[in-house]
Amino acid sequence: MTPSPAQGPRFSPLSVIALIAWVGVLVALSMWMGQLSYHWLPVQASTAAPLVDGLFSFETAVGTFVFGGVISVMVWVIVMHRAEKYDASDAEPIEGNTRLEIIWTAIPFVLVMAIAVYAMRVNTTLGMLGPMEHIHLRSSVEQAGGYPGDRLPAEQVEVIARQWSWEFRYPGSDVSTTELHLAVDEPVTFRLVSEDVLHGFFIPAFRLKQDIVPGRAIDLNVTPTREGRYRLRDSQFSGTWFAANQADVVVESVEAHQAWLEAAARQPLQSGLSDASLEYAQRGQSRKAGWATVPPAPPPQVNVPGSNTQPHDG
Amino acid sequence: MTTAYPAPNAEPQHVEGHEKHNLTGFIIFLCSESVIFLAFFSGYALLKTSALDWLPPGVEGLEWQMPLINSVVLVSSSGTIYLAERAMAKGNIWGFRAFWLLTMALGSYFLYGQAVEWSGLQFGFTSGTFGGTFYLLTGFHGLHVATGVGLMTLMLIKSFIPGNYNGGEQGVQATSLFWHFVDVIWIILFVLIYVWQRS
Amino acid sequence: MTLATFPASEPKPSWTRYFSFNTDAKVIGIQYIVLAFFFFLIGGLLAMIIRGELITPEADLVDRTVYNGIYTMHGTVMLFLFIFPVLNGLNNLLIPTMIGAPDMAFPRLNAVAFWLVPIFGVLLMSSFFVPGGPAYSGWWSYPPVSIQNPLGHLISGQGLWLTAVALSGVSSIMGAVNFVTTIIRMRAPGMGWFRMPVFCWTALAAQSLQLIGLPSLTGGAIMLLMDLVAGTTFYDPAGGGDPVLYQHFFWFYSHPAVYVIILPVFGIFSELFPVYARKPLFGYVYVALASFIIVGLGLIVWVHHMFPSGVAEWMRNLFMFTTMLIAVPTGVKVFAWLGTLWRGKLRLTTPMLFCLGGLFNFVFAGITGIMLATVPIDLHVSNTYFVVGHFHYVIYGAAVMGIFAGIYHWFPKFIGRMPYEGLGKLHFLLTFVGANLNFLPMHPLGLMGMPRRVSSYDPEFAFWNVLASLGAFLLGVSIIPFLLNMVSSWVRGPKATHNPWNAIGLEWLLPSPPAEDNFGEHVPVVISRPYGYGLGKPLVEHQAEIEQALALAEQQEAAR
Repeated sequence: MTPSPAQGPRFSPLSVIALIAWVGVLVALSMWMGQLSYHWLPVQASTAAPLVDGLFSFETAVGTFVFGGVISVMVWVIVMHRAEKYDASDAEPIEGNTRLEIIWTAIPFVLVMAIAVYAMRVNTTLGMLGPMEHIHLRSSVEQAGGYPGDRLPAEQVEVIARQWSWEFRYPGSDVSTTELHLAVDEPVTFRLVSEDVLHGFFIPAFRLKQDIVPGRAIDLNVTPTREGRYRLRDSQFSGTWFAANQADVVVESVEAHQAWLEAAARQPLQSGLSDASLEYAQRGQSRKAGWATVPPAPPPQVNVPGSNTQPHDG
Repeated sequence: MTTAYPAPNAEPQHVEGHEKHNLTGFIIFLCSESVIFLAFFSGYALLKTSALDWLPPGVEGLEWQMPLINSVVLVSSSGTIYLAERAMAKGNIWGFRAFWLLTMALGSYFLYGQAVEWSGLQFGFTSGTFGGTFYLLTGFHGLHVATGVGLMTLMLIKSFIPGNYNGGEQGVQATSLFWHFVDVIWIILFVLIYVWQRS
Repeated sequence: MTLATFPASEPKPSWTRYFSFNTDAKVIGIQYIVLAFFFFLIGGLLAMIIRGELITPEADLVDRTVYNGIYTMHGTVMLFLFIFPVLNGLNNLLIPTMIGAPDMAFPRLNAVAFWLVPIFGVLLMSSFFVPGGPAYSGWWSYPPVSIQNPLGHLISGQGLWLTAVALSGVSSIMGAVNFVTTIIRMRAPGMGWFRMPVFCWTALAAQSLQLIGLPSLTGGAIMLLMDLVAGTTFYDPAGGGDPVLYQHFFWFYSHPAVYVIILPVFGIFSELFPVYARKPLFGYVYVALASFIIVGLGLIVWVHHMFPSGVAEWMRNLFMFTTMLIAVPTGVKVFAWLGTLWRGKLRLTTPMLFCLGGLFNFVFAGITGIMLATVPIDLHVSNTYFVVGHFHYVIYGAAVMGIFAGIYHWFPKFIGRMPYEGLGKLHFLLTFVGANLNFLPMHPLGLMGMPRRVSSYDPEFAFWNVLASLGAFLLGVSIIPFLLNMVSSWVRGPKATHNPWNAIGLEWLLPSPPAEDNFGEHVPVVISRPYGYGLGKPLVEHQAEIEQALALAEQQEAAR
């Protein structure tokens, strides 16, 4: 990638060896960065995560190489090609080189197309893990009558985003909660709906993100692969308590999940988690300066509020 | 490839060069202005194709005969403004004024017809996306027609300044260009709103 | 051609012209730049509050509503009241002088376009004081959040915001018509397209993008304003509208807007590297043409901002490919600059340091940009701090640093005095370290899953946020030597000669500062390409005589 000058004869064999050695160092550095990049990401907790991370690692390595190459040239010229003090003369006037232009058009072109093709394959594989999304407009009947549980498959979870709380409904078990529980290695389909504004369904450990658009129901498939407690974050700005609009995601064994569902179904309905409602109530008491806000929707009535304060894995 | 910048010694030429910039600038502006219509058109098409219930309750569709007459009026005014420009090119200043005035009359009639149509409709600006886009598109276009008539009035007044149009007039060319632009927009708009009624 | 005898001293024009409806492009240029930096300080202050809030995980410094208003206004002020005006200021100073025109094509329109900026600036600032506070839905103003209008008043912060943005659009379109017309029609005799400086190429490209893209945002904003105040439902799903439609309108402009910002900065790099490396620009024609390839591609990539918004799979793939392609013409430029530096005779002056630092940051931003273009990675990091880090590297790390380079480089030309090198280098050091310390930690934060626009966050993000905040405060301090430098050198800096950097270009054949009508009637005839360093060919006819006359006038001035 480094624009080695076209004037070949001016380069001694020693400098060619030095250049090759430096490229070797850069390649090694890039591969090391590619490996390192896995540690910058949260734990892998879904079938999608290794695919995304592999692509990210690849791009980190390529990017490190390109960056290293360009910066090497910059450092080289800054150190070696500085004008002498009081030297007011011009340098040798090289106006361009068509061959070089073709090379540094073609190589980046091939490189980015290779990345794009790789990314598209990952995309396709992600799609095979479960269609990434299937958008259907919510009919007015559904909007009016709430939630037609009997028409949905058992492993489907309806996710209702509000300003500012998350509600999860398990139609097969007639359970609702503000803490998302999933069985490990079991595919699940989320049906994402919003009752007010745009929200974003984002579980970093799953490497998944999907905006929730009011007026649409969007299906999203995922297969969790690791037991643990993770965070679901609202990723599309949704107003005053956007930052507090988070929920916990608990991935547990199939048996534990079944037991949880059964226990949950026996619980009476109670107010779910809504940090926004708590803060809003306090806001009425304290006279801290603030601007106007939309009041939070009342906390959803759920069987199990769960928790969003326990330590999480990612 | 080389420039048309006027020779650096002649003051009158300098002024004329400046006049030529006006037309260049105006054409650039029109290109930009067309994008805003393009945005509205694509928004209209997108909302219409994705709508569950496009027409508001109680609305059957749009009556198209009167708008068609209106369209014929507006499109023919493109012809009259061309004739006005031709007359001016031949130095026939009264012919220019006559055709110019006729164009203004046709444009004004179009605005009148639009107002009559609006007042007879049983939906408003806030009747869903159908009402919103209908009034937005026709209103925004109507605003352009009104601007065009205003520009023509200005040019007509300027034509009475003695000797003003002897060397050709960029303002007239620009106004005429604007008028053709408004016409073309209307044709697209008519097809989108009145012809394409079935969703 | 008879030689122009430059008057040794003209009656010194009054400073009050900077506060009047002046139609001289050079006055307007300085008006734009000074006003832009006034708003830069306001936007910077808002950034300090943002980073102050984010130095701890809890929302404790300001109320959440205040935080949301402040981050919205930070972005809006920086884009519409700093970066666009400052670039228009440079356009005003440089385009007429570089192409040898006496002024812009439409001087009065130019002045109107400028005076709209303080008007909508005041309008936007006034939204801090209306009941309910300013707009709070981010500079994207995505509906339905942006049309919620909690107090229900007709005059709301969001309404004022939309009006200000619309006026900004009107001002930008006026400017764009003017710049494009000027470049097309008013070039010096002999200056064909491929003898035009690259800055003018990039300005032409950027302003063409404004003309094509901006009306889309204006149309979208008109519909949003109607939804907000008139009760229409263009974007409200409850009335059959579609919130995603707005996103298309918005990004159809706002992605190209990034190129409107970065292209002129590419122009600055292309102007400055040859001067301070004492070599011709490597592959001038390719660098010039690449600008227009970027324009073409820049118009067909906007959906990459909407990968998680609910667009079809084929659209995601298509826009991933187009976005990737932008790397190619951009790469051509980057490699051309490296080719220019290679085997040059580098002078590490303040403008050169800013260019090198800007290029460093830009290459980094380009690599994270490629990552963001790939759909699977984007689905993880979009709307996280990774994106915030990426675009701050572009806008601050590359664009603002390039703008500083341009200001230090052309300051002597238009002010007539030299800026101080020591303060300039201190400014560079603080900016470069501050920017990297501020924006680099945002990348790990985003990868870990910290969403953007949050007023509070989970404790595991605290470490990188503290680093970023420290970087931000350093960046806040970095502006002090700049302001000191500008004010003191403007008042009592050493007098500048007509060509203190020994640069090639029409603007350097004018006295410093140039007369009001630049070359007036005596526009030199351009006979060669720009950047002829080391070639020994004159740029214009009678170049030696012109330079002698300028030097003579300077000697007489000094003797007085």
